[in-house]
Amino acid sequence: MKSTLKALLMAAAVVAAPFVAANTASAEGEKYILVSHAPDSDTWWNTIKNGIALAGKQVGAEVEYRNPPTGDIADMARIIEQAAASSPDGIITTLADFDVLKGPIRNAVDQGIDVIIMNTGTPDQAREVGALMYVGQPEYDAGFAAGLRAKGEGVTKFLCVNHAIQQPTVGERCRGYADGLGIDLGDAMMDSGTDPSEIKNKVLAYLSANPYVNGILTLGPVSADPTIAALKENGMAGSIHFGTFDLGEEIVKGIKDGTIKWGIDQQPFLQAYLPVVILANWDRFGVLPGNNINSGPGFVTKDGLTMVEKFAGEYR
Amino acid sequence: MNTRTTHEPIIQMKNIEKHFGSVIALAGVSIDVYPGECHCLLGDNGAGKSTFIKTMSGVHKPTRGEILFEGRPMNFESPRDAMDAGIATVHQHLAMIPLMSVSRNFFMGNEPVKKVVGMNFFDHEYANQVTMDEMRKMGINLRGPDQAVGTLSGGERQTVAIARAVHFGAKVLILDEPTSALGVRQTANVLATIDKVRKQDIAVVFITHNVRHAMAVGDRFTVLNRGQTLGTAQRGQISAEELQDMMAGGQELVALEGSLGGTV
Amino acid sequence: MVDIAQTDERIKEISPLRRALIRPELGGMVGTVAVFLLFLLFASDSGMFAAQGALNWSLVSAQFMIIAVGACLLMIAGEFDLSVGSMIGFAGMMVAVFGVVLGWPMWLTIITTFAICLALGALNGWIVVKTGLPSFIVTLAFLFILRGFTIYIPQTIERKTIIGGIRDAAEGDWLAPIFGGKIGTSFFQWLGEAGVIEVFERGSRAGEPVVDGIPMLIVWAIALVIFGHVLLTKTRFGNWVFASGGDAEAARNSGVPVNRVKILMFMFTAFCATVFATCQVMEFGSAGADRGLLKEFEAIIAVVIGGALLTGGYGSVLGAALGALIFGVVQQGLFFAGVESSLFRVFLGVILLAAVILNTYIRRIITGER
Repeated sequence: MKSTLKALLMAAAVVAAPFVAANTASAEGEKYILVSHAPDSDTWWNTIKNGIALAGKQVGAEVEYRNPPTGDIADMARIIEQAAASSPDGIITTLADFDVLKGPIRNAVDQGIDVIIMNTGTPDQAREVGALMYVGQPEYDAGFAAGLRAKGEGVTKFLCVNHAIQQPTVGERCRGYADGLGIDLGDAMMDSGTDPSEIKNKVLAYLSANPYVNGILTLGPVSADPTIAALKENGMAGSIHFGTFDLGEEIVKGIKDGTIKWGIDQQPFLQAYLPVVILANWDRFGVLPGNNINSGPGFVTKDGLTMVEKFAGEYR
Repeated sequence: MNTRTTHEPIIQMKNIEKHFGSVIALAGVSIDVYPGECHCLLGDNGAGKSTFIKTMSGVHKPTRGEILFEGRPMNFESPRDAMDAGIATVHQHLAMIPLMSVSRNFFMGNEPVKKVVGMNFFDHEYANQVTMDEMRKMGINLRGPDQAVGTLSGGERQTVAIARAVHFGAKVLILDEPTSALGVRQTANVLATIDKVRKQDIAVVFITHNVRHAMAVGDRFTVLNRGQTLGTAQRGQISAEELQDMMAGGQELVALEGSLGGTV
Repeated sequence: MVDIAQTDERIKEISPLRRALIRPELGGMVGTVAVFLLFLLFASDSGMFAAQGALNWSLVSAQFMIIAVGACLLMIAGEFDLSVGSMIGFAGMMVAVFGVVLGWPMWLTIITTFAICLALGALNGWIVVKTGLPSFIVTLAFLFILRGFTIYIPQTIERKTIIGGIRDAAEGDWLAPIFGGKIGTSFFQWLGEAGVIEVFERGSRAGEPVVDGIPMLIVWAIALVIFGHVLLTKTRFGNWVFASGGDAEAARNSGVPVNRVKILMFMFTAFCATVFATCQVMEFGSAGADRGLLKEFEAIIAVVIGGALLTGGYGSVLGAALGALIFGVVQQGLFFAGVESSLFRVFLGVILLAAVILNTYIRRIITGER
């Protein structure tokens, strides 16, 4: 009995410790909460965390990052409702599923909380839920631009590796790419899952089953890194046209050694940094940029990789 | 002692044979059991005791032979039939669930219901009352009807199982080695329970390989050996040593007994 | 002959207070009190206990409760269902496919979805009972099968993984409000006007209270908890559930229809998952292929926090409901308290461990396990 009691007391101490830490660490000034749709396992969002942390420090506002642990959009809706209930000065959120999130966001706006949509979503949707503005890279447009460029570089048949099939907005990149190429999407979009070795083997299998494929598009580091490994294994690295969304350490290496033709940088840092700065200035001085901000697409090729390389995974 | 044997036997097994493929488990066993007697079925491991009582309780169908229950030929299709006729078996593997309370166990499968606004609900009040009463009759004072069976001793669990069988109208109670895993005092409790049940005019078939336990409560003794019966003896007509010898099949044990100093 | 009716001197007398406290739900009750105290201490000024904040964690807890009731009864009956999460995704998608893509009336859509999901639950149970395989394996298979269909069906029909427009399709239907509606709206309107709860400051809903009713999700949760509790403790079927999970062989020997009980409990679990899914799609208006991910484990965790035994035969629906409440309050409360959200799992692990240790101790007192 005594040992049980001891275990419980220790558990209570462990439980209580972060509360104390969290409360003493709170800064003065406005409070902004960023809500993303990404599961804990998605490392890409580290840049976003760093972005809001830096902006918060520079403007002297308190910032928080929130996400549904499993990436369930319905859970994300609850987090937005929760964020609204804690009455912050502003909420920065992605619009990963318009149907699910419009209600909670609309309610937050009606409650008097300023909202900026970042990353996923469209300017139209941002306007419809009553957000101040949209900061991000319109997915379809970015995919379309990538498709046009790939067409000029000779791609005739392609594979789009989609690691986030449950998020329709990410799939828009594939659709835009296909339309840019002028090819029907057909079965070229692969539901790869998120496990690296599964992705690698699926890509290998697809390429050996479809020998005429001469272009690959990956939608982020989660699908790009295993695809790089797959191409190195079957010897197609460098010969097949390979473009990817987003940047990461492996992707930068791939661009450098010629495996990847280009990476589309949506510059996530700006998507996190700018909304915090914009909200702070709106709250303090009532000034607001007159339009939505496109943080991308920017094509990153072999030239001018130095900065990217230096800050990959941190601010790039 | 066995004054009640003037009645008709409640169950008669005549020349029961049971073959499993080429193995002859029972080679013509006959036995009759009267209401209010404790009939001990003795035998060493593998003597055919289990097969015999499974035939009696409807688990096995005899290959040859006849079963008369209350004077009429019976053909049990399933244990359920035997149970409905009033033949209850308390297995070595008890039909008791340690995590559940005594009263829930007592009425498991036969829960009393009462109607509340047209719906059937478990009548806990009745169940608790009956359980406490029945257990008190058997000499066990429960802390409460909600006491879990897991908190009872092995002997008390046997007693709950016996009390349950009696409450639900058993006429023949088959006890399969109820004392084999028990300590001295708990064994005494179970034997006392058997005595109480017998006095309610219920026929008890007590399976054991422990002669002393059998001698303590038995009215008649039947010894099984290698699938055959070596006859039935009345209490007082046979000594413990003779039973022991019959169980072991005679000669071998006599030699053994000498070296063990009569302790078996 | 010794007098065996005397009380055994080795059984200690138990005081009435201790006896009232020692019950399967005790762990859940202690946990609930502890969790609320903790958050009252650290998050009282964050809006967590204002109307809107309370609704937020109540909704999340209610979601957990709905699936925990099913998981609890099934676990007491000695089986697991790992396909609950996939069933949630699948049921939601069925509502979307029938109601939006095929354009059926919503009441027919909902009834058909329930029928399909109950049949799947029965199939789950039937396979487990007939093959004697561990339900862990059988339902793990269904976890993949159902999730696969949930992704495949909308992709084939609509070329996307989220189907929206359910709210519009449910407009004016008589059955849909049972899942997606709210009750007590006029009462909350009055509370808003009386200034008890905050009202919207601007927009189309300016002047309306921020909480305008009790969502049916919460009503379902309470109703299912009451139903489950009564079924388990007050009916003969409840006794069969305990018996089936405690020792299926012993229960069969006593004439309990173990197979029927288990199949029915699988169906009830499927029913709970479908209620969860229907409420969710009615509230959010869309069904997605990723809905309900990992919910089966959340349900099982809530049940275990609530004092049920993983191996069956022992547990409490009220305990499971408290487990769900703890789970929901902790998950949302950490946000209110401003704790880094990645620490959520640490908390969950600590609470789970503490609850299991406490519950094991309580259970040993009750059942005399050694």
